[in-house]
Amino acid sequence: MEKFFALIGFFEILLVLFMQWEVYTKKIITTFSIASYTIAVFLFYLGIMENKYLVVILAVLTAGVRGFFIPWFMKKRIVRDPWREREIKPTISTALSILISLSVVIFAYVLYRITFYDSVHLSDGSIPIALILQGVFLMISRRNAFIQLIGYMMMENAIFLFEGYLFPALPFIVEAGVILDLIGIIAIAGIVVKMMKNSTTDSNEFDELKG
Amino acid sequence: MGYIYSLPMIFTAIGAVLCLSRSMYFEEFVSVISALATVVVTGTVVFLPDFSNGFLYIDGLSKIMLIMISAIYTSTVIFSTTYMKYIENPLFEKNFYYFLMNLFAFTMFFTVSVNNFGLMWVGVEATTVTSALLVATENNESSMEATWRYIIIVSSGLIISLLSNVFIYSATHTLSLSMLMSMKVTNAGKILTLGSMMAIVGYGTKAGIFPMHTWLPDVHGKAPAPVSAIFSGVLLPVALYVMARILQIVPVESVRIFSFALGFLTVLIAAVLMVAQGHYKRLFAYSTMENMGMALIGLSLGKYAFIGAIILLISHAFAKSSAFFLTGNVLAKYKSHKMTDVKGISKRMPFTAYTLMFSSMAVTGTPPFGTFIGEFMIIYGMLLNFPLFYTLTLVGFLALAFIAVNFKIGKMIFSESDGEMMERKRVGRIVPMVNTSLAFLVVFLIPQIQEILSKGMIR
Amino acid sequence: MLLIFLSILQLFYVLLLSPLIFGIFSKFEERIESKKGPSIFQPYYDLFKLFRKQVVVPEVSSPFFHVVPYVEFALYSLLTLVLPIITAFPLEFGPTVDFIGGGLIFGAAALLKKIASLDSRSNYSHLGVSRAASMGALAEPITVLIFIMLGVISKTNNPYIINNVLQTSSSWYLSLTHWFVAAAFFMILLVETGKLPIEHHSTAELGMIDQAMDLEYSGMDLAFYKWGGYIKKFLLMSVFVNVYTVPFFVPMKYNLSSIAIYTGIHFLKLLGLVISMGLLEESISKFRLFKNFDYMAISFSLAFLSFLAFYTTNGGF
Repeated sequence: MEKFFALIGFFEILLVLFMQWEVYTKKIITTFSIASYTIAVFLFYLGIMENKYLVVILAVLTAGVRGFFIPWFMKKRIVRDPWREREIKPTISTALSILISLSVVIFAYVLYRITFYDSVHLSDGSIPIALILQGVFLMISRRNAFIQLIGYMMMENAIFLFEGYLFPALPFIVEAGVILDLIGIIAIAGIVVKMMKNSTTDSNEFDELKG
Repeated sequence: MGYIYSLPMIFTAIGAVLCLSRSMYFEEFVSVISALATVVVTGTVVFLPDFSNGFLYIDGLSKIMLIMISAIYTSTVIFSTTYMKYIENPLFEKNFYYFLMNLFAFTMFFTVSVNNFGLMWVGVEATTVTSALLVATENNESSMEATWRYIIIVSSGLIISLLSNVFIYSATHTLSLSMLMSMKVTNAGKILTLGSMMAIVGYGTKAGIFPMHTWLPDVHGKAPAPVSAIFSGVLLPVALYVMARILQIVPVESVRIFSFALGFLTVLIAAVLMVAQGHYKRLFAYSTMENMGMALIGLSLGKYAFIGAIILLISHAFAKSSAFFLTGNVLAKYKSHKMTDVKGISKRMPFTAYTLMFSSMAVTGTPPFGTFIGEFMIIYGMLLNFPLFYTLTLVGFLALAFIAVNFKIGKMIFSESDGEMMERKRVGRIVPMVNTSLAFLVVFLIPQIQEILSKGMIR
Repeated sequence: MLLIFLSILQLFYVLLLSPLIFGIFSKFEERIESKKGPSIFQPYYDLFKLFRKQVVVPEVSSPFFHVVPYVEFALYSLLTLVLPIITAFPLEFGPTVDFIGGGLIFGAAALLKKIASLDSRSNYSHLGVSRAASMGALAEPITVLIFIMLGVISKTNNPYIINNVLQTSSSWYLSLTHWFVAAAFFMILLVETGKLPIEHHSTAELGMIDQAMDLEYSGMDLAFYKWGGYIKKFLLMSVFVNVYTVPFFVPMKYNLSSIAIYTGIHFLKLLGLVISMGLLEESISKFRLFKNFDYMAISFSLAFLSFLAFYTTNGGF
């Protein structure tokens, strides 16, 4: 199980690095969908093997909402030609952001070793923490609302992975998961759709939101 | 016996469901009734003993939060009944607005009365779910952008606090508040310390505390006035309530110093940014940040400063909600967010003008108001714990904030203008006036507040 | 004595077969594009023709320019004697250098090529040199990181021992550490052999990197230059299949018949690699020049993740 977890975890880290590399929104959405499905498969397997139905519920949530619904909805909502929708000028250059994402992974490992490792004794528990931080960085480094939302959802995936694997007994995690998904759905339903209609507008009219 | 403590939640939930029906003025009527009912219930709860079972945990702090929420919720709903007509082109129907507002109040009541950090987190995150669309009510480009920033920043901050839940659970093997309170952690390990710090940062996002405060001015600037009022008045204190719980269960020096530092930096940054503001709603938003920073300092110091922080939060809730209602009045009539466009309020809207003057004095901690007593107690606590230099710096920045707010608002009120009278009628005048005077009347209730906090009830 | 014989055998195997691999490669690509394509022996014809042509050297260049192709050819030939190509035990010259040493010889040859191209004083060559130098400056640390990781796996820097470890220990062979290293090396291999996401084999100077460097050579100089290039790519590909990805069947003990059989298997392995690289090249398009650095960053991340995988899966420091 530990080897399987390490495999899935490093695969996820690679996928987030790939998202940092990619500029086309559609490809990032597809990558995110793959990442969610992978985590869902792992959680499902874990839940079945260790007979924990809560983890199975988490897996179903992950696959249904973040694997299928949100990517599907986003792809439907890309207004211009899907293959053309992309980040024109990222805030941080791509190569630098890949390297920062990598160093975030290393930071998470060090953090995990000095805090958790003494009590948990699972050497690969740092991977979900790394994924959370990578998600934060994906959000910071891009301006596109879709990609920011994907960064947030990636954090959520990582939280599920963390709790499903390390603390399956944690109370109220399913409720928390439902709420997190609700946030995502509210966000895309109410906001993104509106914003995307004018995705090309200049940011001058947001002058009021500065300072 | 326990059911009475959950009545505020039940009333708001029923109110929310009833609001879904579409008949004229029915949703306003239902909301006002359920809000008043919560006031009555929370008013009686303070005379009842502490209570905790598997689901609820009500002690003195929760009772004070319940009263605050119900009072601000009531005034917001009443103010909304006449204010909503000034919003052109709203994002949704009026009944959906009240539905969300009631649900929002429900999530806040839920957060302050549950007995579990996991559920508390769920409650705080649910406040984001229910309030996100409220922010976007005005339905224009920049309010959408503000909502987007609100959702994305606050929810990622809250993911950090979810992680802190995991940390706390792994260190103590429980998330139940009553068990953690009886545990009396004195020597916290690395995980618990780190978890508490993450909780401070995570919930601090929702409370507008320094490193992740950036959503706050945008949202308060662009949300409609009643929503800004309820955000500033009680939503941020609800997040502070969770932080206060964390500080209560992990009374470790490093966590206290950490939250003190964050609160201190918040005050500094807010005071500096206030000087540069040209939009009056954003000015009050930064003033909220400053007050939250002060309250966090108070919570981190404990003892008298803790009581001071609670007094500050209560009187600030009344004063700041009143201030935001009044900015709503000004915005409705002048149609501009900019200070330079708003001139001579005292000539054109005298009631609004003088109430605004008093409430802006109240939010900056001028003597007759409760905020002054609260800040005074916090500063006294600081003098006992820290070198004089820190206290003087803090007082200096508080003075800067005081001058910035009162000078700018004073210029808006007392400048010359030759427009005609355009004062708002009954509700638009009375609600802010009542709230401002409540911010003052809190002063007389300080002994009772202290009694609730120390004994849990008033005998 | 036998070791010397095997060394000479290996040398001739590499020298003679390296152009063939690239003939097959281009034929395969053309077939995918539904064209007839050149004969698989086309590189030999080219070399043969170049050997008979007159050598013309730029007037402004120094004698150094004329010497470099021969030195480069010699360096790459030296490398064939020390790397595991048809045997997994060290041959006569094997003990002289390890992986780092081999890397240094590669680096020396690349440096000489760059200096000679600068010496040709052609603008296009200068363009190619500056591009190749900036790519190389980023590829070098990644290569070193890869070698260090292999050193961590086998506790030595000897390519033969690395091959033996991976061949015998399935836990190392299946470990994440090893596969991250292999993936990173594959990305570097595409850079060093000038394959598609990095370099397109057309005459458009916008995307030229390595091709721009030999523009001023002619005749026998060019023949040796090109032949040296074939050997270099052949060696890198051999190392990739023999050490990184499929270290199986390489004879670990001296046995003439198994070595003879393995020579055939090795050629088949290379053919497999060539086919997969051809398929890759047909399915992706070239990056813009500045996007190459993002590619390098990903490759560096892979090499570094292998470090992390080593620490997490093997119980840490």
